[in-house]
Amino acid sequence: MEFDIVGKSTPLLDGLEKVTGRARYVTDIRMEGMLHGKILRSPHPHARIVKIDTSKAEKVSGVRGIITGFNVPQHKFGTMLQDWVILPNDKVRFVGDEVAAVAATSEAAALEALELIEVEYEVLPAVFDQEEAMSPDAPLLYEDKDDNIATTFQVERGDVDGAFAESDIIFEDDYETSQVYQAHLEPMAAVVAPADYDRLTLWLSTQVPSMSRLRYAEALGVCAEDLRIIKPHVGGGFGAKFEYKSHILAAVLARRTGLPVRMVNTRDEDFIAGNPRVPMKIRVKLGLKKDGAILAKDVRIIAGNGARTVYGPAITSTACYRIDSLYKVRNVRSVGYTVYTNMIPTSCFRGFGNAQMHFAMEQALDAICHENGLDPVEVRRINGVYPGYVSIHGWEIKSCALQECVDQAVEASGWYEKKKTLDKSGAKKRGIGMALCNHVSGNRPFYRPFDGSSALVRLTPEGKAIVFTGEADLGQGLNTAFAIIAAEAVGLPVKDVRTAAVDTDISPFGLGSFATRATTIGGRAVYEAAVNLKEQLVSHIAKVYDEKPENIKVRKGEVALEGKGETLPIFDVMQKVSFSLGGASLVGQGSYVPDTVLPDENKYGNVSPAYPFACHIAEVEVDTETGSVNIINYWAAHDVGRVLNQQALEGQVEGGVIMGAGWALMEEMIVKEGHLVNPKLHDYWLPTSMDTPIGKIHSIFLESVDPNGPFGAKGIGEPSLNPVAAAIANAIFDATGARIKKLPISPDKIVGALVNKKL
Amino acid sequence: MDKQVVSFNLNGEAVRVRCDPFSSLLSLLRDRLGLLGTKAGCGRGECGACTVLLDGLAVNACLVPAGKAEGLNVETIENLSRGGSLHPIQEAFVEKGAVQCGFCTPGMVMSAHALLKSDPAPGREEIRKAISGNLCRCSGYVQIEEAIAAAADKLKD
Repeated sequence: MEFDIVGKSTPLLDGLEKVTGRARYVTDIRMEGMLHGKILRSPHPHARIVKIDTSKAEKVSGVRGIITGFNVPQHKFGTMLQDWVILPNDKVRFVGDEVAAVAATSEAAALEALELIEVEYEVLPAVFDQEEAMSPDAPLLYEDKDDNIATTFQVERGDVDGAFAESDIIFEDDYETSQVYQAHLEPMAAVVAPADYDRLTLWLSTQVPSMSRLRYAEALGVCAEDLRIIKPHVGGGFGAKFEYKSHILAAVLARRTGLPVRMVNTRDEDFIAGNPRVPMKIRVKLGLKKDGAILAKDVRIIAGNGARTVYGPAITSTACYRIDSLYKVRNVRSVGYTVYTNMIPTSCFRGFGNAQMHFAMEQALDAICHENGLDPVEVRRINGVYPGYVSIHGWEIKSCALQECVDQAVEASGWYEKKKTLDKSGAKKRGIGMALCNHVSGNRPFYRPFDGSSALVRLTPEGKAIVFTGEADLGQGLNTAFAIIAAEAVGLPVKDVRTAAVDTDISPFGLGSFATRATTIGGRAVYEAAVNLKEQLVSHIAKVYDEKPENIKVRKGEVALEGKGETLPIFDVMQKVSFSLGGASLVGQGSYVPDTVLPDENKYGNVSPAYPFACHIAEVEVDTETGSVNIINYWAAHDVGRVLNQQALEGQVEGGVIMGAGWALMEEMIVKEGHLVNPKLHDYWLPTSMDTPIGKIHSIFLESVDPNGPFGAKGIGEPSLNPVAAAIANAIFDATGARIKKLPISPDKIVGALVNKKL
Repeated sequence: MDKQVVSFNLNGEAVRVRCDPFSSLLSLLRDRLGLLGTKAGCGRGECGACTVLLDGLAVNACLVPAGKAEGLNVETIENLSRGGSLHPIQEAFVEKGAVQCGFCTPGMVMSAHALLKSDPAPGREEIRKAISGNLCRCSGYVQIEEAIAAAADKLKD
């Protein structure tokens, strides 16, 4: 199929306002009478709140409102479990836990008031490690529960024990992934203002405008209709920007004071009370035939939920069994515990548990190959899924270019040659490593009532189109992708299409940007709306110009009336059409409800309409004296279904690879007794421009043309990160023989492993 | 804190503003003068989102006391597209896909601007160094580096 726009490079349509600084984020919102909100946070990892005295704080000039657990309702609510309250009056459970919130006419007054709030705590014993927290004598976070296990996920299929008995190779090892910070450049932020009809308007930096609205309505004891959520430009999310406590506190303060309240995290607060990645201890046991075919997989995961539940349980379950749709294993057993600790609540971070499991599984396969003289490429080939495969859990793989990803990455990297020739003679040793990946494009159980999306595309009397969606652009280029889809489907130049900011008073409901779903599911809804618009357009043109519908072609903003042999600009045509309808715009409406099912009680059922795949290969140089690692070259071959925007895809892959490299090699939230030691960007080492193997990330895109995605497109956000840490770890092993199973793979661990190897 | 009058040249225009000289130049720009193009990402000189030019040098506005601007030239992102057309650096950022969420972009553009003023033909290593204080979590820096190299070419012509 020939496309006018799809598959080309389309610079972001909101690039202009971003490069000029005119783009407005929540942190830029200023309003007459706006108050500044600040949160008092717990200094203790676990303590009973004995008393809170706000009398001195109330006297600070400019203070307009103070809330604590003693003057707000104490009903429970939550994202997955009902373990949130607006503010607690019983206990604090992590350093950073919200104790009180103040709104004042200046930030200085709010901060002064925070200092004057007197809280009497009775410090309690605390537990920080998720495995220790499972012990029967560990301090209990929630006294109404028998233990600290928030949730247990279990699944077993096939004859696992029988398959292990038949296996020629049995491998078992432990891996540990770290809690890391998303480090979106724009901190968590909300501005909330009272509005007419006793409503509240919330400007949020969020990935999930419509879902937040439902949850906040529950928290505030109002109807969702009483809340209007507007999502302006968002300065990155990466999984952090879901439902968030400070948004609710801003809303309560706005309601109490009758004034707009701005609540923006400092960078420290973002570090100590954001929603970092769920840390996991993963035990993997694999049984294989001697040719490397995987017969059985047995996994046990202990995941740190932190002090309250955000999306930890869903992330653990993903780690437990999503990878069973990457490899054709038929006998599987997984158990995953999501365990409360007196640590920061953890949640989504690009990869959603699947990234954690890839770190374990892809290293396990590499180790098995090494120990048994197998070819890691061949082993992945014989185990990899194929189009039409249905996983043991009922997941239906439709489009799949996994084998082609392997072929192309192996060829482009010169894998076999490099395996033989990379220099390992000196102190600086080169190595090459591989990891595959799968993911979803939508995850049916994430929001239990449904998955799907709907969109409107409005064609104005001037022939320009506006896409209305509830799905959230966080900077990844979603609004541009939607404009590309609508423009291609209607036949307009992409410059004449824009995507409106999400505003729940106007936009359709959209679950939001997570599970790599927005382009595929949201984009398909935009496609359906655009097709619907085009049908209306053609039928109106037929009437107004007295032309047969089959003779009307709309392309690149021009309307060809082939019966008449005439071509007219869309502007002229829409003027006529619109004026014939009393000035109306044409509005196309479309929905997409994927043919997925909520998994049954045995966790069986297809969760996603489309599955993206990838093969990554890393070439590294390890300085065996210092333990430092340089990524020399990186190949990322992705089955994206269809390229919608070449340049934006490359940007996603490069960003995902570098973020994955940061996770693999550098980033670490260092926590001592529940206190984060490095809540600063200087001390928490994010990759900078100096750490990037610039020009050496080779993106390769394969188009398997998915039957469900818009023009066949699948998601890219998370797959770009999933295999990175394992590919790098495998390359380090290839270079040095050091197998690092605990993240981050820091220089001290490499040098330590090499010293131990020599001893 | 006692207020005092600080006079400086802001984007080519003389300004006199009464402020606490120890408050940050960033808060003066954003909260007093309404120049919201300069972003606030950390307030501690760690992310580079608030990069502006002080007498041609790239600085973190959050670390510069407002009083320090006295008598100097301050240039912000708003100055680059005055008159309505984009600066070649801004054009290159859009064309090369160097913009994703955009929160680091104004600071990144200003660092590039400072670099290209002092070195019109920088090598890749100089480009990387010039933006090493500007964190970006979206792009992996690849397209940003390409954009700055392309901007240098544009400015040569």
